[in-house]
Amino acid sequence: MIHNFSLYWRLIGVQIRSQLQYRLAFFLDVLGTSLITILNFATLAFVFQRFGSIAGWNLGEVAFLYGMVEAAFGVMDMLFSGFDPQNFGRQVRLGRMDQLLLRPLDITLQVFGSEFIMRRLGRIAQGLLVLGVAIAMLDIQWTITKLLYMPVVIVSLVCFFGGLFIIGATITFWTYESIEVVNIFTYGGSEMMSYPMNIYQNWLRQFFTYIIPAIFLIYYPALYFLDKPDPFPMPGFARFLSPVVGLGILWAALLFWNYGLRHYQSTGT
Amino acid sequence: MKEIIVVENLQKHFRIAKHHRGPGGTFRNLFSHEYRLIRAVDDVTFRVDKGELVGYLGPNGAGKSTTIKILAGLLVPTAGNLVVNGYIPWKDRKTYVARIGAVFGQRTTLWWDLPVIESLDLLRFIYQIPKDRFQENISEFRQLLDLDPFLDTPVRSLSLGQRMRADLCAALLHDPVMLFLDEPTIGLDVVAKEHIRQFIQHINHQRGTTVILTTHDMSDVERLCERVMIIDHGKLLFDGALEMLRRRFGGKRRLMVDFGEVYPEIHIEGAQVTECNGQRVVFEFERSTITASVLIGRLSEKYRIQDLEVREPDIEATIRRIYEEKLLDL
Repeated sequence: MIHNFSLYWRLIGVQIRSQLQYRLAFFLDVLGTSLITILNFATLAFVFQRFGSIAGWNLGEVAFLYGMVEAAFGVMDMLFSGFDPQNFGRQVRLGRMDQLLLRPLDITLQVFGSEFIMRRLGRIAQGLLVLGVAIAMLDIQWTITKLLYMPVVIVSLVCFFGGLFIIGATITFWTYESIEVVNIFTYGGSEMMSYPMNIYQNWLRQFFTYIIPAIFLIYYPALYFLDKPDPFPMPGFARFLSPVVGLGILWAALLFWNYGLRHYQSTGT
Repeated sequence: MKEIIVVENLQKHFRIAKHHRGPGGTFRNLFSHEYRLIRAVDDVTFRVDKGELVGYLGPNGAGKSTTIKILAGLLVPTAGNLVVNGYIPWKDRKTYVARIGAVFGQRTTLWWDLPVIESLDLLRFIYQIPKDRFQENISEFRQLLDLDPFLDTPVRSLSLGQRMRADLCAALLHDPVMLFLDEPTIGLDVVAKEHIRQFIQHINHQRGTTVILTTHDMSDVERLCERVMIIDHGKLLFDGALEMLRRRFGGKRRLMVDFGEVYPEIHIEGAQVTECNGQRVVFEFERSTITASVLIGRLSEKYRIQDLEVREPDIEATIRRIYEEKLLDL
């Protein structure tokens, strides 16, 4: 276990060192992601300037959601980059899996260690910045529980998105063509969760409540942090289900992943 | 334990989805459940002793790589028994692969952006190689494989030959008992090929490492392997000494003679004249009918000989004959 952990750091170290060889590319990329986030946020601000609020949520409140989701997605995209379905699927096609299987190490550990996209730090920083601005704009009644629950929610989001990445990566063992469908869930999911769930149509919200319970990850915690009433008939503990959903999805994803690995070894490509 | 590999009735079948073409085809592929069964490895049985160097040959798609992948623990066989170095490769993958080395064709196992030496150091950590053993191996391989000129170069900037040398070094640092090589000389020039061959032979002789190698290059086989296995359409067609292969399926040997003068007509028992060009005459003869020395004796009794040369049938032609004519049922 300790060996595995230090091994992980060594593998990540390799990734970081190789990325530092291209310093200019790194900075340009951070700059690029920053600009995108700022533009996105600016668009949002203009919309709010015109309409004041959306379905009872003002700019600060939406920015709060947006910042949390952005930061969490950035963290996930950095830690789980090895599982990014697009990239992982390509690696599988190139036969990289064979090399991982040849080493006397856990495959999952090796995939985690195979990629670590540092420039995601840009996205994380931007997310945290937006979150900071939101908190400054809002008048949140902070309590100890709220302060403690905040990082828990971010970690749960990271687990959730990471789970989606792992599921997507696993699907590429069977087919590379349906990768776009998976992307809809990860990127579309993060986009959707950046907005309050009550703006969506009923069927869509139902889907994200009962099929993929994403609504509990950030929307309900946000109701709690911002002391907003629940527009839907959900019990009070719904606001604290974030870690259950996050860890649950990650756990299910890892089960599926292990199943996919066994399948890969029996079929090859 | 003398045997290191025991393979019995090994089978590997693949189900390949039938692909429909055209714009409608893409859509149909999503729902199509028609499969074609491919027997990539079909009832293969063989044993390999410790310290052997075996050439595993076959045309593209014959099942070579599939067999090697199963042996290396990358694939699970459909049926059959398989024990390598006391392990069932796919079941005990992690423990098993810690004691084997492999270089698969043109793919590197090294880290693309890292200098070679750092990749090797990372492998030391992965395989938990004792530091002094690692140093010993590195200094030996540095010399044998001439690694010094590019030890500090990132892998991505290496030439193909350099990369293969680095990969061979990487595959052997942890003192594996088995080495699997899939096309180790592919794409290399003659000098580089010879370098690699010498190294493989050295490892096999000096360290007693069992080596299984697949190749397209018949000079690899002639130079390295005492034993060859030939596979085609998933079936093992031949398994035995290279010499036996030559003797049984070798076809005709050739004798080229430069005579001291031009003879108008040359007749010799047991050989046919196939070319006649002034003083130079080429004979063909069967190994089973006449030996080279008897033939030369008969010739020198009747004619004045200046120079001569015996040519063995090349293995490539031999193997091609086996593939094409399905010469044997073992």
